[in-house]
Amino acid sequence: MKHAWINKVVIGFFCTLLAWPAMAQEDELKDLPGYVNFGDLSATYGEPKITINLGGTMLNFVGMMSKSESPETSEMISKLKGIRVQIYGLDENIDAARSQFSQVKGDLKSNGWEPIVQVNEDDEQVLVYMKAEGGNMEGMTVMVVDNEEAVFVNIIGQLNPEELGRVMESFDVDVDVDLD
Amino acid sequence: MNEYDDKWEERINALLDGELEADDAELLKAEATDDRELARAIVDAYQLQQAMDALRVERAPASLTKKLQAIPRQHRSKPGFSLFNFAQPRWAAALAAIPLVVIAVSLMRPDTPSAAEIAQARQEMAIAFAYLDKAGVITGREIESTVGRTMANAVTDSVNRTIQSQSLNFKENEA
Repeated sequence: MKHAWINKVVIGFFCTLLAWPAMAQEDELKDLPGYVNFGDLSATYGEPKITINLGGTMLNFVGMMSKSESPETSEMISKLKGIRVQIYGLDENIDAARSQFSQVKGDLKSNGWEPIVQVNEDDEQVLVYMKAEGGNMEGMTVMVVDNEEAVFVNIIGQLNPEELGRVMESFDVDVDVDLD
Repeated sequence: MNEYDDKWEERINALLDGELEADDAELLKAEATDDRELARAIVDAYQLQQAMDALRVERAPASLTKKLQAIPRQHRSKPGFSLFNFAQPRWAAALAAIPLVVIAVSLMRPDTPSAAEIAQARQEMAIAFAYLDKAGVITGREIESTVGRTMANAVTDSVNRTIQSQSLNFKENEA
């Protein structure tokens, strides 16, 4: 009993230490114009099933490592400043995700983001927004909410969709994404 | 037990222990002759004393004796450091946590990521791009089902050109 609170403090300390790199990379990106705050849906759906926060430093290393294998991939990565992904698995209640979707969409509009593609179906909402400043692409945001998951992707920096298709092949990574 | 009983108890105990003066002892016996309760209290106390005297002192098992004798030695050695202290559960937990601290601290140094961390980042990047691809497929499918394949390709190409033009602008600005 006496050591119960000590155990909690120790566990909390180590959790903070382990989460530190992700938090540090998130902080590194917050001041960039292409950054988007997706809010937090964990109160409704629990922790995201996927959270990715890649800052410029890590992307530089990935780009350098890719240079010998695929100069094109390396070139594409060099234009990126950050990649953020939050994916929540949805239960029966998708209202919170849709509400967040609408709120982020409103924030994007008011912050000078331009809509590129938008799909509004009863069972599926997709939105692609892009931000440019001074003729430079600063970021891209993709949000997908269907009956199973809410996906929030924020690419900070420049990304050419045509390059993306070619580069995906070079990654040679098995990624299972359900399209249905 | 009231004050009267306490007084009896003291005198009865003194009588049984042989510590009561002869006069007082005679007085108590005389009182007991007239007081049945006092007489019964003296008899009960006498029987209890006899029963207590009949009890044998049991010897403790040797193992228990050793353990009890070791307690003062353990208390003496507590403040110092010894291998035995480090075998205690809390010390063992603290020592086991050291590798975790080392890993955590190494993770806090983004300027020197390991090969495994870079591979992990690459994997995460692929996941992010796969979801971008997913969004592209969904939007392409929707456009196609609404306006037909030819028109969908035209829209998609237009979107790509819009984004690409930003990229070209970036290159020009860099040059």
